[in-house]
Amino acid sequence: MTIHCDNFDDLLLEGDTFSMQIAAKHAKDCASCAEKLASWNEISETARGMHASWENEMLWPRIKRAVGAEKQRSRSHVWQIAAALLIFAVLGGLTWRAQERARKFDDVIMREAALEKVEQTEKEHIAAINNLEKMAQPRLSDPSSPLLVSYKEKLMLLDDAIAECQTNIDRNRQNAHLRRQLLAIYTEKQRTLQEVLREESHASNQ
Amino acid sequence: MAGVAAALMAMPRITTNDDLRLAKGCAEGDTTIFEEIYRDHSDRMKSIAYNHLGNVSDAEDAVQETFLKVHRAASTYNGESAFTTWMYRVLINTCYDALRRRLRRIQEAPIDDVLTFERAGASVDDAKRMTLRKMLGELPEQRRTVFILFEVEGLSHAEIGRILNISEGNSKWILFATKKQLQEQWKNKS
Repeated sequence: MTIHCDNFDDLLLEGDTFSMQIAAKHAKDCASCAEKLASWNEISETARGMHASWENEMLWPRIKRAVGAEKQRSRSHVWQIAAALLIFAVLGGLTWRAQERARKFDDVIMREAALEKVEQTEKEHIAAINNLEKMAQPRLSDPSSPLLVSYKEKLMLLDDAIAECQTNIDRNRQNAHLRRQLLAIYTEKQRTLQEVLREESHASNQ
Repeated sequence: MAGVAAALMAMPRITTNDDLRLAKGCAEGDTTIFEEIYRDHSDRMKSIAYNHLGNVSDAEDAVQETFLKVHRAASTYNGESAFTTWMYRVLINTCYDALRRRLRRIQEAPIDDVLTFERAGASVDDAKRMTLRKMLGELPEQRRTVFILFEVEGLSHAEIGRILNISEGNSKWILFATKKQLQEQWKNKS
């Protein structure tokens, strides 16, 4: 196989044994390519002698220690992360519990306040009804008509119902149903007393 | 498209059970696995590092750092290339990092330490080696690495391609261009 100087670089690029043999064959008859090939091979030969080899008995133990220390560090790092997560979880739990307690305490306070307000309003309502009762008392103690007798009996029944309801409320202050029931009985008592007073004014007009 | 195909052909997936065993052992910090790797590869690793960094102390540091990096990153080894190929890539990147750190420090690296060279074949002149080493020091990173891996360490272009993540043809071309450049300087110096 014959080649020209123009193709010489292609052989050097290829660089395999066969290409280099062809290049060498061409270089035998071509001074400029021979010079090129000589420096090319000289660089390769010089490079082959650059492989550095030395023994250092301390290097492996040094690497072994470093890897061991790194392993230890990464292990303790894992433990540190785990401990941090645990502490975070415990702190989170405690904070949540404290907040929950505070919220429950606030609920109790709010409930107590609402209850006191209801009881206060009830007291005022009862006082107003008692006032009405005082006004109707003279007529009721000596009823002059069958209608007033009937009102008196109704009022006695209502008082019994109020007493019973109140006893139940004293046992369970937060029972809203009993409170609504008590309010209904008082409203009925109030209406009855008003009718007694109206009956009284009718009678005095006649 | 053809370039991608060539690159893929240059980097075949050649993971074996042995690669996975080495990766697992390194991830777990198994010193017997590290010892096995050290026994089989430290000579070449030291030589590659030495020829990049120019002195024994830095070369040994680079080898040690490579083992530590391999331990830290072995769990991320994805088997795209052989484990040792991946390890040599780590070594070369470690050498590049060391060179960049050195550049930042603007320190002159000692050119050579007293070494016992095992020379393959005919002996060559120390002065020539010194000259070539200086010329290599002036080359860009990739050119220097391709030259060292092929001409000094005797790796094939396919192996170099896998280590440097380039195609075999690219490795061949880089070596040719590098030797052309060195040849010009070589003529001038001699």
